[in-house]
Amino acid sequence: MKKLAIFSLAFLLVFSFMISCKKKVEEAPPPPLPEPVQEEQPVIEEQPVVEEVEEEPVVEEPQLTEEEIYLQKSLDEMNAEAPMEMIYFDFDKYFIRDDAKPVLEANAEWLEQFDSIQIVIEGHCDERGTEEYNLSLGEKRAKSTLDYLVSLGISADRIKIISYGKSQPIDLEHNEDAWQKNRRAQSKIIGK
Amino acid sequence: MKKSLILVCTILVGLGAVIVFPQQEVVISIKDGMPVIPLALPEFISQSTAPEIKSYGEKLHQIISADLEYSRVFQLLPKSHYSYIRSLNPKKIHFKDWESIQATLLMVGILSDSEKKDFLFEGKVYDVKSGRFIFGKRYQSAESLLRLVAHKMADEIMKIYGERPIFTSKVVYISNRDGNDELYMMDYDGENQTRLTFNKIVDYMPAWSVDAKKIAYTSYRGTEAGLYIYNPYEGVRKEVTSSGTNFAPAFSPDGKKLAFCSTVEEGNSEIYVANSAGTNIKRLTFNIAIDTSPSWSPNGREIAFTSDRGGTPQIYVMDAEGSNVRRVSFGGSYHDAPAWSPTGDRIAYVSRVDQIFDIYVLNLRTNKIIKLTESNARNESPTWSPNGRHLIFSSNLSGSIQLYTIDYDSLNLKRLTSKGSNKLPDWSR
Repeated sequence: MKKLAIFSLAFLLVFSFMISCKKKVEEAPPPPLPEPVQEEQPVIEEQPVVEEVEEEPVVEEPQLTEEEIYLQKSLDEMNAEAPMEMIYFDFDKYFIRDDAKPVLEANAEWLEQFDSIQIVIEGHCDERGTEEYNLSLGEKRAKSTLDYLVSLGISADRIKIISYGKSQPIDLEHNEDAWQKNRRAQSKIIGK
Repeated sequence: MKKSLILVCTILVGLGAVIVFPQQEVVISIKDGMPVIPLALPEFISQSTAPEIKSYGEKLHQIISADLEYSRVFQLLPKSHYSYIRSLNPKKIHFKDWESIQATLLMVGILSDSEKKDFLFEGKVYDVKSGRFIFGKRYQSAESLLRLVAHKMADEIMKIYGERPIFTSKVVYISNRDGNDELYMMDYDGENQTRLTFNKIVDYMPAWSVDAKKIAYTSYRGTEAGLYIYNPYEGVRKEVTSSGTNFAPAFSPDGKKLAFCSTVEEGNSEIYVANSAGTNIKRLTFNIAIDTSPSWSPNGREIAFTSDRGGTPQIYVMDAEGSNVRRVSFGGSYHDAPAWSPTGDRIAYVSRVDQIFDIYVLNLRTNKIIKLTESNARNESPTWSPNGRHLIFSSNLSGSIQLYTIDYDSLNLKRLTSKGSNKLPDWSR
């Protein structure tokens, strides 16, 4: 093994000596032209970094808050999105059901976020009450919805209430499904 | 229930000959088909050669006949009876002939050409037995007002028997036939249905003023359900109040006051009273429960209303100043829409039993209750005729909500409307 290493080292030495001797004999070649490199340099200089800087003020627009963006919409657009879900009531009753509480909590959070928004809460009834009593009952439903939002810290000054009795059903069928959908309180945005 | 009533009535009819009953008891005897006043109404005579005049006469005869048939006060003799006697000669009436076919009253109608208008109509009423002329009326009119002429004549016949006229009365109601809940009015018989308001907002719960010139009603404008008084003849609208939800207006019988409901305080509906112009508003009920649907007694001293202060909606009566409240409905769990009869002795109301609404009538003197409607439907918003013999109400009997008329004793149910849905009727006094 050692013999092989010594031999190959010796061979390398001899071989490299032979090459170096040969170079000295040849003429020195002309230095390569640096022109291609020089051509590339002006391209780098022309890169329009400055222009990007000019456009920077435009980038400031999206810095509006989520609230401010939202408030740019019209009342109709806002109401079409129905940001506050409606809640439902038991037959002949106007107390806030347990399943309605998380909905109202979410609505209250939303009202806190958009604290300039004013709403009207509409109370509605199903067809199984009389016209006259239902109008009073719808108002009670709107009122207990208002009271619950107030208990969650929303100012009563921002909320109006109205009753439509059974005059505005959203489901015209005559079954429990439809009646449940119609016994509701829904909020509409009336000011921002 | 019905059978026993008929039995009672039959007995009453028997006793009627010897005992003088108050008017409404006499009315009960009609139930057995006993005509109170048999009236002969032969075809009207045309003294003109113009065929239009003859046809006006036929129309007038037909309308007056329908009015008097509806009245429950008169019964028309069958036409076939007329063939047994000599034909009518208005110049010389053979009263014996008319007596022989059981007529008590005879009405003679004569049409002739009019110089200024389309026709001249003369109606004369005779007492058959004595052969005496009782009264006569002459009307000169355009064809467009022919129905009104007929109703006016029929009203005159009602008046001679001390009956309050009903045929020229009007019914105001809410219809959505043109896509939106608007005010409409019509004649008592469902004719001349006329739209009164033209807007995109919801109008609701109308009520006539006593002179039937103005209508108090609720109108949803923006976020308010305000109460307004509207004169459809002049097109003038006046606001009574617009904060909160305001509804169920009712003018007092003397026309001086307007009772209504408002939720302006605490979102709870209470009964208020204003003067008839809508000013000087005073609160009448003070209760955390719902108080709604005021209806005046005909003497104006009391107000019937609905309250759930006892846990369920029930009918109560209070003095017109708000004191002395007492409950008058019992035996059910849901009563509403009281309508005090113009005769003062009865209150019609809606009762809900197993999701079916029927109209009942409570007799305040006897405390007896009769059920007017018997249908698997929602019968609502009863309103009395000016003389207390008929009611109009809304019902979904045919599927959609329509207006119907029925007599005080549950006879003669008849549908009046058919386009769109029609509800919340109020019959003028």
